[in-house]
Amino acid sequence: MIKRGALILVAVLAVGLAGFAAFAWRPAIARIAPPAASSFSPQLVAQGEILAGAGYCATCHTAKGGKPFAGGYPMQTSFGTIYSSNITPDPETGVGAWSQAAFARAMRQGVAQNGSHLFPAFPYDHFNKLTDADIAALYAFIMTRPPVSAPPVRNRLPFPLNIRALQAGWKLLFFHPQPFAPNPARGAEWNRGAYLAEGLSHCGACHTPRNALGAERKDKAYAGAPIDNWVAPPLTRANPSPAPWTEDELFAYLRSGVARYHGVSAGPMAPVVHAGLSKLPDSDIHALATYFGEIGGGQAREADTGPVVEKALAADRLGTGLQYDAPARLYAAACASCHYNNAKGPNPLRPDLALNSAVNLDDPTNLIRVTLYGLDAKSGAPGIVMPGFARFSDADVARIAAYLRATRTTKAPWPDLEKKVAAIRAQGKGKE
Amino acid sequence: MTSFTINGRAVSVDVDDDTPLLWVIRDEIGLTGSKFGCGIGLCGACTVHVGGRATRSCVTPVSAVDGAQVTTIEGLDPADEHPVQQAWRALQVPQCGYCQSGQIMQAAALLKDFPSPTDEDIDAVMTGNLCRCMTYVRIRAAVKQAAQALANGAIPNLTAAKGAKA
Amino acid sequence: MTRLAPRGEGFDPLSRRGFLVASAGAVATFGFARAIEAAMDPAAPHGVPATASGPRFDPTLWFSIDSDGMVTVNIIRAEMGQHVSSAMAQIVAEELEADWDKVRITHVDTDPKWGLMVTGGSWSVWQTFPIFSRAGAAGRMALIEAGAKLLGASPAACSARKGAVAAGGRSITYGEIVRRGALSRQYSADDLAKLPIKPVDQRNLIGKPVAALDIAAKTTGAAIYGIDAKVPGMVYARPKLPPTRNGSKVVSVDDSAARKVKGYLRCITLDDPSDTVPGWVMVIAESYPAAIRAADLVKVSWTAGPGAATSEKDIQDHAAGLIAKPEVGVLLNTGGGDTAAALKAAHTTVERTYTTSTVLHFQLEPLNALAFEKDGVFEIHTGNQWQSLIMPTLAKALGRPESGIVMRTYLLGGGFGRRLNGDYAVPAALAAKALGRPVQMILTRADDARFDSVRSPSVQTLRMGFDAAGKVTAMEHHAAAGWPTLVMAPGFMPKGQGGAPYDPFAISGADHWYEVGAQKVRAISNDLANSTFRPGWLRSVGPGWTNWALESFMDEAARRLSLDPVAFRLKLLNGAGRNAGSAPSAVGGALRQAEVVRRAANRAGWGQALPKDTGLGLATSFGQERDMPTWVACVARVRVDRATGVVTVEKLTNVTDAGAIIDPDGARAQTEGATLWGLSMTLHEGTAFENGQVKDTNLDTYMPLRIADTPDLDISFVDSTEPPVGLGEPATTVVAPAIGNAIFAAVGARLRHIPITPEAVRAALAGGAS
Repeated sequence: MIKRGALILVAVLAVGLAGFAAFAWRPAIARIAPPAASSFSPQLVAQGEILAGAGYCATCHTAKGGKPFAGGYPMQTSFGTIYSSNITPDPETGVGAWSQAAFARAMRQGVAQNGSHLFPAFPYDHFNKLTDADIAALYAFIMTRPPVSAPPVRNRLPFPLNIRALQAGWKLLFFHPQPFAPNPARGAEWNRGAYLAEGLSHCGACHTPRNALGAERKDKAYAGAPIDNWVAPPLTRANPSPAPWTEDELFAYLRSGVARYHGVSAGPMAPVVHAGLSKLPDSDIHALATYFGEIGGGQAREADTGPVVEKALAADRLGTGLQYDAPARLYAAACASCHYNNAKGPNPLRPDLALNSAVNLDDPTNLIRVTLYGLDAKSGAPGIVMPGFARFSDADVARIAAYLRATRTTKAPWPDLEKKVAAIRAQGKGKE
Repeated sequence: MTSFTINGRAVSVDVDDDTPLLWVIRDEIGLTGSKFGCGIGLCGACTVHVGGRATRSCVTPVSAVDGAQVTTIEGLDPADEHPVQQAWRALQVPQCGYCQSGQIMQAAALLKDFPSPTDEDIDAVMTGNLCRCMTYVRIRAAVKQAAQALANGAIPNLTAAKGAKA
Repeated sequence: MTRLAPRGEGFDPLSRRGFLVASAGAVATFGFARAIEAAMDPAAPHGVPATASGPRFDPTLWFSIDSDGMVTVNIIRAEMGQHVSSAMAQIVAEELEADWDKVRITHVDTDPKWGLMVTGGSWSVWQTFPIFSRAGAAGRMALIEAGAKLLGASPAACSARKGAVAAGGRSITYGEIVRRGALSRQYSADDLAKLPIKPVDQRNLIGKPVAALDIAAKTTGAAIYGIDAKVPGMVYARPKLPPTRNGSKVVSVDDSAARKVKGYLRCITLDDPSDTVPGWVMVIAESYPAAIRAADLVKVSWTAGPGAATSEKDIQDHAAGLIAKPEVGVLLNTGGGDTAAALKAAHTTVERTYTTSTVLHFQLEPLNALAFEKDGVFEIHTGNQWQSLIMPTLAKALGRPESGIVMRTYLLGGGFGRRLNGDYAVPAALAAKALGRPVQMILTRADDARFDSVRSPSVQTLRMGFDAAGKVTAMEHHAAAGWPTLVMAPGFMPKGQGGAPYDPFAISGADHWYEVGAQKVRAISNDLANSTFRPGWLRSVGPGWTNWALESFMDEAARRLSLDPVAFRLKLLNGAGRNAGSAPSAVGGALRQAEVVRRAANRAGWGQALPKDTGLGLATSFGQERDMPTWVACVARVRVDRATGVVTVEKLTNVTDAGAIIDPDGARAQTEGATLWGLSMTLHEGTAFENGQVKDTNLDTYMPLRIADTPDLDISFVDSTEPPVGLGEPATTVVAPAIGNAIFAAVGARLRHIPITPEAVRAALAGGAS
């Protein structure tokens, strides 16, 4: 994929190097003295804090163990490793010298104060939809953070991908900024959800598959995609969970990290819920639920929940004929103490695996990851953990996954599970 | 450094992130009621509560409980008079006793989710706890007895407060 | 497990441990004796025994009374869940007329004065009963005598009850008598032997439900096991296990990767003069998780000893080959008769071969030991069932006399016979010696399984001959397996015909109580098993497999004659000849076995109509040893799914006659556990050797019985006033054949191997009934 991408880039280069250089050039915007914190109203800063959370600024701009917003967080892409920048108001190493205009240009066009192009790992293709008011609030919040002197970490990208000017070509191909335009056929709540999802919270950045050059495929919006060694499930009608993602389920999931009929937030989604969206008001979470309740068609299938759940609970019963079946015994001993539910209905803190997203996805990655490495108290349902079964052999983990797939779903078996487990084990636990 | 509370007490430990919680509890904190049995999460002897839910501490990395509330058998009830403990003594469940801290912790958690458990509920939830002396008949009976006591109004910590040790 | 060297082979627990004698004297001296180094009280917080209050009365080695009237009973048996200490204390307290609320127990450390320290064979109650009863009786008489003086009454006018001596309306507590120091009394051994024991109908404690003294601490996390032992400055060890149990040698150790592990200290290649742990390398670290991690990274290369390529099939084929050679093995003294001639002359003969798989102990507390030297004495802190066996080995390993070593007692997180073999104390001791600081060695579960002294796989061939009238005229039972006693305690082996020593724990059970005419029982040591692994004693030992063969075979024989299997057994359990039974413990003989068979059959509804593919099967046993028989019968009710071969055990009905029951609840608990162990080994447990190692080392593939597998149990005891015998094991031995026989009754498929798998059931169904 990298090779092919590189070839295309070389071809683009060949078309007209000189013309391209002119096209790619962006001016610097004058440096300013860092504005005093007192120049921003507290209300504006507070609003900015909520928005910064919902845009996950801290998630990507804070390295593990590092100071908030000081950058240096590594992002593995299929092109190489990109390190996030320092967005504290330090004038030398951060954004302290950026005017609000420079900040707005970065957010909307992916161009830094000095005129250099930013890599699209920074989701300016979503942030361009932000309103002026929201950008002003974000600027106020960012400029009132404690400045941290943290020089940028050099990206690990191969030539020629490390040439920032070439990003202009990428933009030419894939970046078509459009301010958010409400859909008049939908209500205010839906439109608010769409604004958040398409813009600030950039849901598609993880849930929409990307093309060979790393651009989101608009024709496959929210169709699900791999991200950070996990799988971001489809948010469309292609979502394979047996129970519909109704507005209630979506709200519960996005608000608490726990959906009774689907499971808990894990992997890269855990900080989205527990850090990112946590400060948004309930009304905004409802808005997101409304938006995705329609996109995924879950709200329309609300009536399916009852029968689906009933069927799932039936699968939870320990059959008396199972006592010799090694995978069944393994499941009964390792998993059932926490995941069994009786006929009274699934307890959201006992995630029902017949209903669980991970068991129903086409790709077993999420199930294997959670089985191997568990969930810490900050993921999933907060304050509780799932242990990790990394001490199980690859064969044992594969056995449990295959058993769940066979007994809890009607979907095709996952192929080559044992190899898949080994591959995921080799990737390691990954970032927290 | 990982910080959490254990039996209501705040602790911070400086051990490798992937150190199993069990060994932190046993050797760093010094509470030995939680036991090492299989080391892979299949016998239940190491069961503690994290956030009130039964958790196999031998396969839980200590970093996972950062900020969480951990309860061990020693802290299940301040006077050791949790209805499950009472039922275990009344029916003389333990034989060698090695798995019983885990059994009791699992049973106490079970009763929160299934206040009047059927045999099927007990079998499903307790099957993760191996008892090599095979006290299973009594475990079933004791879980039901404890459930009855709870239904009759025994409240774990209130009971404890009444009969608290000096 | 049966009693060691039963017939006067220089070890008789009754004479050796002696009557009421503090050391070796023939006369018991009552008075205020020296302190006993108490080791462990399972009822006390963290196991630390309370100190005596005020002056103390130590009438014997076995118990003392302090000035508060607290009776402390000294227990030399290991507490591993059988509540043995409570049963022992009940026996003393019964005759002493102690107040049960004022009885506590102390598990003592090793000291020569205690005599043989071993817990197994279901013998504890049986051996202790006469000694502790008379100890208690003597204590009571001394207290009455002294109390009478203090009350100004005649001893004859006094009585003792609930820890006090009373005369007329006045009474004085035992504590008060002790406090006043008014005790002096001497009995000769002969006097003591003549002391009467209470008639059964006057018992106040024995046979009554009491709260077992070890239970409360096991519900609070306060109970202390070997793995919980800690001393200042100790480090942790996890071994790197060699490729073979015997004869491995270390070639090189590479710990370069382990050095990156925080807390890793070093590796020690053990130099073991006792040859208990050849080829072991101990990985030492400051914490146990660090030791686990480091050991995973240490690379050791070895030259392997014998058996590195041996498989389960090799072992079993070898056993079958040995059985085919009439000249090998040892014949037991069974009253003889020429079975070859009788079989030749028989109208009908039946011959069948039965096999059993290797079984792991899988006691839940992995093996561990803490060792260090203190004040010139080497201390070993661990839970152990047979201290007297490992002490000489430890002495040899450490190069010091036994007097310089003491084993301190902890609760056992399961024994089941694994901790009869104390081999795990040796590597800890050697590491502590090499390092010069305390070492706590803990095995991981997989290490524990690989280092287990497993129950040997076995092969048995049985033959029976009948005359034209269907009368049994001859029977042979040939059993080949690894011999634990040969490998670990050869001096304890009794002798069979021609003075040849044999392992009773690999053949007992075959010398049954059925009247079969000419009888041959041949015990064969499987030398390939013995060299590949270290065979172990496992709950119910030999009868665990001999009775599988015997009772399956009895069923097959009955079917061959078209007789009801229960009626067939009852006819042969006629109490004739050597099966009449004798005092002290086998009074009633085979007739008592017939009685439990009848009762079990009745309780289970033998002969009733049953749903399709459902059947009842019965098996019976005399337990562990002919001179300590525990009569037991079990009926299994099973349902067989013909399509999958899955066997569902719906109910197990067990009837036991163990003489007088000391602790009814404890007896029931032991029988429940033993029955379910039997079930587990019938349907769920079993492993196999591959390349000299067991292939299953943890619960992901070794899958013992769990609560969801537990059927209904109906357990009952015969009311009896006969001397109490053992209960920890006998119920184990009847379950497998009862289930095998029930499967046959249900669907006509005969299974001859345990564990029974669905594949085997399907194969037997496809092959038709034999």
